[in-house]
Amino acid sequence: MNACYNCNTCPSADKPMEEYIRHLPRETSHHRVATQKTKCGFGLQGVCCRLCANGPCRITPDAPRGICGANADTIVARNFTRAVAAGSGCYIHIVENTARQLKNTGLSKGKIRSEKALDHLADLFGITGATDKWDLAVKVADAVLSDLYRPEYEPMELVEKLAYAPRVKRWKELGIMPGGAKGEVFNNVVKTSTNLSSDPVEMMTSCLRLGISTGVYGLMLTNLLNDVVLGDPEIRMAPVGMNVIDPDYINILITGHQHSLFTYIQDRLTDEDVVAKAKAAGAKGFKLVGCTCVGQDLQLRGAHYTEIFDGHAGNNYISEAVLSCGAIDAVLSEFNCTLPGIEPICDELKIKQICLDVVAKKANAEYIPYNFATREADGEKIIDEIIDAYKERRGKVPMNLFPDHGNKNTLTGVSEGSLKAFLGGSWKPLIDLIVSGKIKGIAGVVGCSSVAYGHDTLTVELTKELIKRDIIVLTAGCSSGGLENVGLMTPEAAELAGPNLKAVCKELGIPPVLNFGPCLAIGRLEIVATEIAAELGVDLPQLPLVLSAAQWLEEQAIADGAFALALGLPLHLGVPPFMTGSKLVTRILTEDMVSLTGGKVIIDPNGVSAADKLEAIIEEKRKALNI
Amino acid sequence: MERYVIIGAGAAGIAAAATLRDFKPEAVITVLSIDEHVHSRCMLHKYLGRERDVEGIGFVAPDFFDKHDITHISCETATRIDTAGKTVYFGEGYSLPYDKLLIATGAGFFIPPIPHFREAPNVFGFRDLSDAMKIDEAFGKGKRVFIVGSGLVGLDAASALCERGAEVTIAEMAERVMPLQTDDYAASVYQKAFEDHGCRFLLGIGASDAVVDGAGNITEVILSTGEHVPCDFVIMAAGVRPRIQIAVDSGIAAERGITVDEHLRTSAPDVYAAGDCTGLSGVWPDAMDQGKVAARNMAGIEEVYEKPYPFKNTSNFFGITMLSVGRLDQTEGAEVLVHHTPTEYKKAVVKDGKLTGYLVLGNISNTGLYLYLIRNGVDLSDKLDHLFQLTFADFYGINEKNGEYAYAR
Amino acid sequence: MKRIMIDPAKCDGCKNCSVACMEAHRTDGGSGVYTLDLTDPNNISRNRIVSDGKGGYDPIFCRHCDVPDCAGACMSGALVKNMENGLVEYDEKKCAACYMCVMSCRYGVPAISPDRKRMIKCDFCAHLEEGPACVRACPKGAIEVKEVGEWSDM
Repeated sequence: MNACYNCNTCPSADKPMEEYIRHLPRETSHHRVATQKTKCGFGLQGVCCRLCANGPCRITPDAPRGICGANADTIVARNFTRAVAAGSGCYIHIVENTARQLKNTGLSKGKIRSEKALDHLADLFGITGATDKWDLAVKVADAVLSDLYRPEYEPMELVEKLAYAPRVKRWKELGIMPGGAKGEVFNNVVKTSTNLSSDPVEMMTSCLRLGISTGVYGLMLTNLLNDVVLGDPEIRMAPVGMNVIDPDYINILITGHQHSLFTYIQDRLTDEDVVAKAKAAGAKGFKLVGCTCVGQDLQLRGAHYTEIFDGHAGNNYISEAVLSCGAIDAVLSEFNCTLPGIEPICDELKIKQICLDVVAKKANAEYIPYNFATREADGEKIIDEIIDAYKERRGKVPMNLFPDHGNKNTLTGVSEGSLKAFLGGSWKPLIDLIVSGKIKGIAGVVGCSSVAYGHDTLTVELTKELIKRDIIVLTAGCSSGGLENVGLMTPEAAELAGPNLKAVCKELGIPPVLNFGPCLAIGRLEIVATEIAAELGVDLPQLPLVLSAAQWLEEQAIADGAFALALGLPLHLGVPPFMTGSKLVTRILTEDMVSLTGGKVIIDPNGVSAADKLEAIIEEKRKALNI
Repeated sequence: MERYVIIGAGAAGIAAAATLRDFKPEAVITVLSIDEHVHSRCMLHKYLGRERDVEGIGFVAPDFFDKHDITHISCETATRIDTAGKTVYFGEGYSLPYDKLLIATGAGFFIPPIPHFREAPNVFGFRDLSDAMKIDEAFGKGKRVFIVGSGLVGLDAASALCERGAEVTIAEMAERVMPLQTDDYAASVYQKAFEDHGCRFLLGIGASDAVVDGAGNITEVILSTGEHVPCDFVIMAAGVRPRIQIAVDSGIAAERGITVDEHLRTSAPDVYAAGDCTGLSGVWPDAMDQGKVAARNMAGIEEVYEKPYPFKNTSNFFGITMLSVGRLDQTEGAEVLVHHTPTEYKKAVVKDGKLTGYLVLGNISNTGLYLYLIRNGVDLSDKLDHLFQLTFADFYGINEKNGEYAYAR
Repeated sequence: MKRIMIDPAKCDGCKNCSVACMEAHRTDGGSGVYTLDLTDPNNISRNRIVSDGKGGYDPIFCRHCDVPDCAGACMSGALVKNMENGLVEYDEKKCAACYMCVMSCRYGVPAISPDRKRMIKCDFCAHLEEGPACVRACPKGAIEVKEVGEWSDM
């Protein structure tokens, strides 16, 4: 390879990857960390207001109010609520498309991979009288869609059916039962516009409503609906990292969150006639390479897709590196986190970019909107264009493979269902381990990957510290991508755990960090927690359970965080969500929330001290439960 | 080896000594002072208020003389200068020959010719450390203080003694406190603050006589109104006079102050004068400046002393801060602008597009440029719309040579 | 001696220098911009960015002048021009808060503390090995520490 681009990249927890990126001949996000090192202090604190033409207004000792009179509390609350609303909108968009996919599958009597999952949903929703599984699928999807489309002033019906009863009771007391999910987003966008709400407390309350609709629909239901169409997760071992890329195939990198939009194409790519086309072009066939959350979801369900799915290469901030390997021929994207930074790389390396959803339209991607009715013709077009790209680029662009990256034995496929099945169909064995102290508690290390303060560095450090303290870690989101590439989800990682957890892992042959897949699977963690709480007869805040979105990145993560707070869980964040400019908002999130929902935000950029704090909370909760 | 002698260790004397040493590394420099410790008279109230000890009110490092290799003869009074024989006489017949001499004797408090006041042992000034020490001693015997004059010196003494629980009465001939620096509003704010701390003001009233005890100590001040105010001692703060006695006694020309030319030379060869004794200005920065300029001239660097701009002051009593520059009282043919909000009070006097007076009561941060604008007669006719918000950005320029600023706009 | 040289044409008015200054001089024991109290007058910035009224910005920073007005006016010895490093240094313990310095600085740089017991002025971040925080925070290179040669009296 040629000389490195500028050899100035951010650190990564994944040291081989750090080396690989540092030596790349082109710029990546890891390089841009240095050039964006200077942060705006007002922005960091959330006290820059750009809501009107009088602005931007910034808060200083000489200027404690914006021109309109908004103080730091109002400005921070408005910015924060806007972010939660936007993040909620993202997840609601995902669940909407997922439900539509299920409905269309039902209407067209398409392939239903898990009738068990469908029946489970029908049970939860209380749907009876369906004529067949397809009709049931339509009814289930309609129940979800009609809730999403309700006006904001009409409560959604499924919340009470899906959420844990003691939580629903508390939410009703607090008046935070959400109305129609899209209406909630709409309402909060309005509320936080110019010279509308100035009430920070009301806005923070709204965030909890948004958090509930995000969590119950965007997270929980998206998973369950996808299980029907895409198949239930099954625990298995899989390769992760850049070693999954096989240059002999036509490789398609998938990025996004809406796995069901790939349903047709991922089946079609293994059909004989399509494979024949690939062979005619000189490849062995097609492979999908996972990246971002949709890759995680495919990996989670990988048992159903062994032929087409190569494996998960890494998280969002690996995508630029993955494309740089030269063996990726196309990027098929439908949502975030599809970094704009991949565009010049795709251009340079002649990688075809196709986008299936306009909300994630990349500037240089061809837009082929996903349309259930025309999916077959569209699919053929996409396949042909990718084959063309393969022929056009192979042999002409340099290869920079990284076959040693990652590992081959990461445990994947963990879900509320597969884990329970693994434990023998009951949570009791896990509860016993917790009660006996062999597992001190559970930490969900979830959310994103970020690079500004190091790529996955805090996520990995915190996770290591937690397992060292006999706290089992469950992951969901891009945090999983970082953790699996450094080997923490291999059974060998048991050696890094504290003595008790290590013994448990060895006995069961599992790693101390269990991967639930995409960020959407935070909803699965919630189901696990709820089922355990129900079995114990306690409410969620009483469990020795903590959450960390150590390297939260985006607005969706803030909406997820609002869900965590509504659930009453302690939530650790590595950097504050642009809130510290307001003493009031900071106090609400970090202190007052305890008396409202039981949750609270803990800010700590240090893995060791953050783990200390989370461990202390777990111990406190154990004590309260007399275990 | 050249011999430099400086009489006085105040702002001018010390500034001159340090400057001389910069230019004359080899010369013999001697400073002769009445006081034992070099101290800032502007901090006497800190000493009197027991906030600081003697060392705490010094304005140079304790090793100043050692470090600069300067001889300090303290606790001695210069009595006469033999300008022909180039010798200073001090104390009990000691003498000190010089090649160049600087008189920096400062100014002393002034006692108006009120019966008993000039003779009474319990009437003190508040100019030197020795004054403060005497007041401190008197305060040990009685806490009823009568202060004549409510200028900065009188209020300094009052604020210090108030903090120590004195019962202070201040007589002021003018109709408001700090008449030279304030306007009626600013004066009322300060008056109230002092009253809240236990001071009593008698405005438009003077002392006209006194009742004394057997030892000649004033026990009651008789006011111009005829009222008797009992007191334990009196502080005179009704003005100062340049200390010119040594010049007069030595045949050096002096009127109100020691007469100096533009190089700060007196009428006697190789004798210079700087600071309050020249009567050119009564504020610290000017005294420092004069000391430096005189020193450079003494060292052979010809430098013209730019006429000082004496109408400037800041005050800080009980946390109430004020900046007062220019002539707020001269408003004939001028426009007076006032900016008054619950938290700020500012007043500007503008004549022919130029600022001639400016006062800020409250937050005086970043207001230094107003003195420059007044002193230099900067034309502000295009900036009158934001006269109270001027910053250096209104005049922004950069000195390309050294990166400092320069007035450009 | 060194001076923070200013190129106002490069200034975008982002005030990163001000926030960095506030952070570098905060006294609440905390650290990290996130927890800096932006509304506390005790945290006031020593530098100021003022609009020039024409779409540009004029950074107002202490020049540590060759002949400093402020130190020349100081009656307590708190402000002293250090001939070795060229800085106008401030000793809070000596300061009597008379504010002659505030009055005397022709560029209007010194400010007064909220408790009216100190003056506030650039200290060149003497406590930081890396030098002035403002300079490091400027994303545009509008302020830079440069050597400006020996101190000259006049």
